[in-house]
Amino acid sequence: MTLFEKIKALYPSLEDKDFMTVITLQNDSDGKGDYIARWSHPEFAQPTQAELDAI
Amino acid sequence: MSSVVISGDTSGSITLSAPAVAGSNTITLPAATGTVMVSGNMPAFSAYKSGSTQSITSSTWTKVTFDVEEYDTNNNFSSSRFTPTVAGYYQVNASIDMLPSSGTATRASTRIYQNGSAYKNGTELQISNITEVGVIASALVYCNGSTDYIEMYALMTGTTPSVQNYGTYFQASMVRAA
Repeated sequence: MTLFEKIKALYPSLEDKDFMTVITLQNDSDGKGDYIARWSHPEFAQPTQAELDAI
Repeated sequence: MSSVVISGDTSGSITLSAPAVAGSNTITLPAATGTVMVSGNMPAFSAYKSGSTQSITSSTWTKVTFDVEEYDTNNNFSSSRFTPTVAGYYQVNASIDMLPSSGTATRASTRIYQNGSAYKNGTELQISNITEVGVIASALVYCNGSTDYIEMYALMTGTTPSVQNYGTYFQASMVRAA
């Protein structure tokens, strides 16, 4: 499951446009994978690593 | 001495003026004969993706990799990153071709990144039923000639999107010194 899918599972009401505006998921093509580069969603808190790992 | 004047054989002259500031300045002419364009130290490069396609995660801004250099006049392009060693303003152009592995995508976009952060947005498509699309970005970007670098990132929202090995290129050229 990708980071995007985990976040969508945690917050199902997130819309795709949120990932173009208030949330930035990023991958620098350096082998380190996807990560949260920016999270400024007004309603949902940035998930912790533990929350993501639990999905 | 603040200037050197070179007179022509008949009329007219060329004046080389030193800047009214302290310090030494060097003008290096390129090794060329005939009409000399003083652009030997103005970096320019062009690269494109030709080998494998690049899988990217849906809705995730991913650095696009480019495996073929068409030209790189100052050896400033490496690891899909342009780090010009001459301070100035650079015209950046890129086109990224993407498609989902199945079905259709709903978003596609590209961005010019500077020093690891989004700097200028390119095309941003928000329409349904995207099968394959090329998105472009163009901007004038200042680089300090030492630490500043430029990369291209892309995003598609769809099923296992990928960046294609055709129609995907990245170019930059200095247009004015700092």
